[in-house]
Amino acid sequence: MTTSAPEPATSRLKISEDNKPIVMSAGFIVVILAVGTMYTLYTQGTATLLSPEYLLQQLQVGAFLGIVAAGMMLVILLGHIDLSIPWTIAAGAMMATTVGGPMAIPVGLGVGLLVGLVNGLGVAYLRIPSMIFTLGVNAVMRGLMVAHTGGFAPQTAATDLMQYLAVGKILGIPVALLVWAVVSMGVMLLLQRTAVGKSIYAIGNKEAAAYLAGVPTKWVIVSAFCLCGMLAGLSGTLLAGYSTKAYQGMGDAYLLPAIAAVVIGGTHILGGRGRYLGTLIGVILIVLLNSVLSIMQMPESGRQIIYGTVIIVMLLVYGRGRKVTS
Amino acid sequence: MSAPPKDPAQAHVQLTGVTKRYGGVTALDNVDFSCELGSVHAVLGENGAGKSTLIKIMSGVVQPDEGEIRLDGRLASFSHPAAANAQGIVCIFQELSLLPDLSVADNISISDPPRRFGLIDAKAQRRRAEELLARIGCEDLNPMSRVRDLPLSRRQMVEIAKALAKNPNVLILDEATSALTAADVDTVFEILRRLRDDGISILTISHRMHEIEAIADKCSVFRNGKHIETFQQGARSEGEIVQMMIGREITAHFPPKPPPPDSAEPMLELKKYSWEDRLKSIDLTVGAGEIVGLGGLDGQGQKELLLGLFGVLKGTSGQVIVQGNEVDINSPQDAKKAGVDLALIPEDRKTEGLMLPMSIADNLTIASLKRLSRGIFVDADAMTAAIEDGIQRMQIKVGSSADAVSTLSGGNQQKVVIAKWLMTEPKIVLLNDPTRGIDVGTKQEIYRLLRSLAETGASIVYYSTDYEELIGCCDRVAVMYDGEIVRELQGDEINERNIIASALKMDEAAQ
Repeated sequence: MTTSAPEPATSRLKISEDNKPIVMSAGFIVVILAVGTMYTLYTQGTATLLSPEYLLQQLQVGAFLGIVAAGMMLVILLGHIDLSIPWTIAAGAMMATTVGGPMAIPVGLGVGLLVGLVNGLGVAYLRIPSMIFTLGVNAVMRGLMVAHTGGFAPQTAATDLMQYLAVGKILGIPVALLVWAVVSMGVMLLLQRTAVGKSIYAIGNKEAAAYLAGVPTKWVIVSAFCLCGMLAGLSGTLLAGYSTKAYQGMGDAYLLPAIAAVVIGGTHILGGRGRYLGTLIGVILIVLLNSVLSIMQMPESGRQIIYGTVIIVMLLVYGRGRKVTS
Repeated sequence: MSAPPKDPAQAHVQLTGVTKRYGGVTALDNVDFSCELGSVHAVLGENGAGKSTLIKIMSGVVQPDEGEIRLDGRLASFSHPAAANAQGIVCIFQELSLLPDLSVADNISISDPPRRFGLIDAKAQRRRAEELLARIGCEDLNPMSRVRDLPLSRRQMVEIAKALAKNPNVLILDEATSALTAADVDTVFEILRRLRDDGISILTISHRMHEIEAIADKCSVFRNGKHIETFQQGARSEGEIVQMMIGREITAHFPPKPPPPDSAEPMLELKKYSWEDRLKSIDLTVGAGEIVGLGGLDGQGQKELLLGLFGVLKGTSGQVIVQGNEVDINSPQDAKKAGVDLALIPEDRKTEGLMLPMSIADNLTIASLKRLSRGIFVDADAMTAAIEDGIQRMQIKVGSSADAVSTLSGGNQQKVVIAKWLMTEPKIVLLNDPTRGIDVGTKQEIYRLLRSLAETGASIVYYSTDYEELIGCCDRVAVMYDGEIVRELQGDEINERNIIASALKMDEAAQ
């Protein structure tokens, strides 16, 4: 599985604990592409999967998930989780299309930010476990959106800018991919080069120690949830642009894949450890896996089983080598 | 190994040559000890003397490395507490072990509830609770009330009833009276006497001398893991007991103390500093360049005092004056702000001091991130320089600063914690038992460091459970008892006799 290791950053001979999942996921991506290509060569006689068009298209689709996963990673690194993602995406999209005009995108982001702020305050100050609190917020957002739209798909359409960001191309490169790249750069800088980023890792490892070191733990937790919400709002806005309008349940398909991408990429589900590069690769893995399975005309049931099994198996494999630190 | 009990017929529990080591620390060293049925036996000793380990071995919480335990002359071994319970040895530990949200009856029968058809028989359980409570004179206690709603002293009674439910021959009390008021203590003692007359062997650890006088038939003194002497209560004076507890062993060397300054300007002043019932109106002044030790037995409020100062405890009252200004410290963030400049070396480096899986570099810089940032980004050069400086200054033995801090030895880990705080350039350093579980070499480096920090004008508040350290390091020692400073020792007054005497609140013996 780990035949190739396209991950050179700290390429010592021995792969460090943090990089192992990244190398393995990258290897698995190669396996997916190889198996898919063999299939297409056999059935159609072409290697469609290796064409730049196909890959760019996958990355474009992956951008929506990638942006969500970037935010989710911040929260998971803290040792928390954000289950309000589905309806934060939908709310961002719906409010953006409702407002329309030049304010559409800022409103979409703002709605996400607001949801994130509520999540953050609840988790950091009220000390409610994030799993419960964000689940509750998700239900509330769903209720608010149903009330807002009357239960029907909103009639409003995405603005031109939203559509451009989602499906437009610059020099053949999808704009959505560029947006994802910008978000990724930002998150990477945040995690590696800022006090907030370092504090996120510290809190995820040992909140008490971080607190006693004078890290403004509450503020950091609130910030991370805000960013996560805002990125979900951004993703929702782009998704609305992609399908030209917002609709009920449009975010439902993103929660589990986002968590899976983060965790497959090697971020510890209990926080404190993980590299952003891993999350990127995790997103690509999930998108390709989905796509190849559908190309192979795997029925939906089979796809779900394989998809779930892959996640579980990869996590089992990671868990094995990991020292248990109590 | 070969010391036979004076009267083998009477010795119910007999320990011979028992040794227990934790890592490099010998907690119990070849101890012979026995206790008889129908008597109250008090175990005395200062912190770390081995009393708790003794109890833990007798009650099956830990296993001895060497030596044997005999019960009524038969060889016994307790692999876990339930095994000891089955043999009639029951321990009431220092921390209350009741589940606050269950009823009194539930708690009393928690380990072995009466059953019917495989389900818990609530009626039988209630009857059993009523009987046991009646036995200790608490008939008025409703077995169905929730433990959470009971005052502390009543909970202690429930704890005793719970222990009696296991039909003990040996009842061990680890500071079981420390949470009780004088009136409650009398009640407990009355019960204990009655149990003794029923033929139960009672083993008690207490730091209150007058309580020991009131209840004990026999006393045993422990020191540094060794059993020093066992004598009939009253056979020794308090002064002799203190002498036995002290011993004479110098194991560490301390840097020389400077002569006391004529008038150091106060760096930190506390006035009527209080928190809940753990800190009671504390007045303390620490001058610039001064090392002030906090003495006393474990758990007399020293830790709370340090945590409170550092902004961790909510609801402290009184005045805190730092560098001449009254300050309000509500969080560690406040504590390390410019103008306050506090640092706290916490008690447990593994959970409070370090993020163990993270790198040495990350751990060193976590308290100084703001200082090391330019704009929103961390200044990589400044960071590297600071990390190198910290490693140099504390002479931390590291392979690479990118290694996880968990790969370091205990002493080096503690150095990382200290270096982390030195990086913030603190003016007042609070230390919460910083040398616990680290090697002698590192300890001495820490002593020297503290002295050199003091010489540069920093103030140091130093809590240690090791009296030798307080004596060797501190310019002044404030001894705490039950949330109060009972005595401040200065200069030549700082000796083990005075510290122990004040810690036990028996000033007369020290005179």
